[in-house]
Amino acid sequence: MYRNNNQGPKRGVALYSYSAEFGFEKTLEDCFEDIHDMGATGVEILANTHIENYPYPTDEWVNYWFSLCDKYQVEPVEYGHWIDCRVLQDRLLSTEEAVARLEQDLRLAHRLGFKVLRTKMSVVDDALNPVENWREIIRGALPLAERLGLTMCPEIHIPTNLKSQMIIDFSVFRHKFDEGEFVDPHFVPNEPEDIIPLIPYIYCCHAKFIHMNDDFEETTIPYKEVLMALRDNGYNGYLLSEYEGADKYDQGYEVGQTLRKHHIMMKNILGY
Amino acid sequence: MDKQVIQSVGFRNIEENGEIVGFQLKIRLPYYRGVYLSQIRPGHLIVDGESFGENEIMWRVNGEDFTYADMRKDCTRHWHPMEPATLIVKKPGGLKQGFHDLTYGFCCTHSYMPPFMEALEDPDKPAVIYFREFGQNTNSRRLLIV
Repeated sequence: MYRNNNQGPKRGVALYSYSAEFGFEKTLEDCFEDIHDMGATGVEILANTHIENYPYPTDEWVNYWFSLCDKYQVEPVEYGHWIDCRVLQDRLLSTEEAVARLEQDLRLAHRLGFKVLRTKMSVVDDALNPVENWREIIRGALPLAERLGLTMCPEIHIPTNLKSQMIIDFSVFRHKFDEGEFVDPHFVPNEPEDIIPLIPYIYCCHAKFIHMNDDFEETTIPYKEVLMALRDNGYNGYLLSEYEGADKYDQGYEVGQTLRKHHIMMKNILGY
Repeated sequence: MDKQVIQSVGFRNIEENGEIVGFQLKIRLPYYRGVYLSQIRPGHLIVDGESFGENEIMWRVNGEDFTYADMRKDCTRHWHPMEPATLIVKKPGGLKQGFHDLTYGFCCTHSYMPPFMEALEDPDKPAVIYFREFGQNTNSRRLLIV
């Protein structure tokens, strides 16, 4: 299977960006060809959205998936999925039930050639704290993840600051940061260099963007500084373009053109 | 598949043994990700002012039929955004020929969003917190029965 073994940050696309068009203007193959057009080599899928007959795809579909990866020289980079602990409306799932469902996703991610998962935890309150047993759930699935060579990653998403308590909490399985090394400035923007100490623990980046102008500049995020910080400090993973603008749902909107602008920008900054 | 939630294809009366026993329509999931059946919160179907509750509507998903009681406890069968579901309603004689005004309301739970958001939502009313990628709770369409 195609793998991009180049050093440095690599360009890819999160299929979430196509949410408004997928299944209408765009098939899965159209998305892959679009990615190939951009010179990008990696893809993130959302399991519940992009896998036909999820969570039980047929072998024919899995073969089709690999045929697309081969044809368009795109590698499976990140398997986006959820642990829906509130899937039943009258009670939370038990740890054992949640582990079994998580293991089902691990097996499926492995079957599709992924090595990294964005594992979205269920939350129980308005502060977005995860379910109380989240550590037990992750720990319960670690032996299988290890056996299959998979890494589960939490998504650090706005408004979480890169220096916040949540980073300490999520780091327990890899690295223990010193208490006091972090403050908790929710809703305070980070400086680009704040990402540098975290780079050894980053397996994948959503390269989110809100607004690209016609000069191929993102007008809300200091992209050049962030990408330089990643490149100059040894990040070898993917930057998966994820377009957040709600206008992608407007009649006639073509997110593929917006993604191309983003890739022109990243290509110009990275030089490839 | 239509972009509208209520699909133009699939709206018709249902005949069994020469009798019209009810009608059906198809809806798609307007959410950016699929859901397990137990995540669905069905509301009411209103046809020309006549209301049908969740226990009067059978859902057909991937060729299997589910009552509301079945769906509530089924967290293994998954409804995909690309596969419209069929709503089946018993109504002797069905719907008469001509135009019908249909409104259907439903929403879903989202474990990764704060629980207060779900508590705010009534499947029979427009979303209190509306995200385009989550879709609207209530959807209407005027369609013909032949």
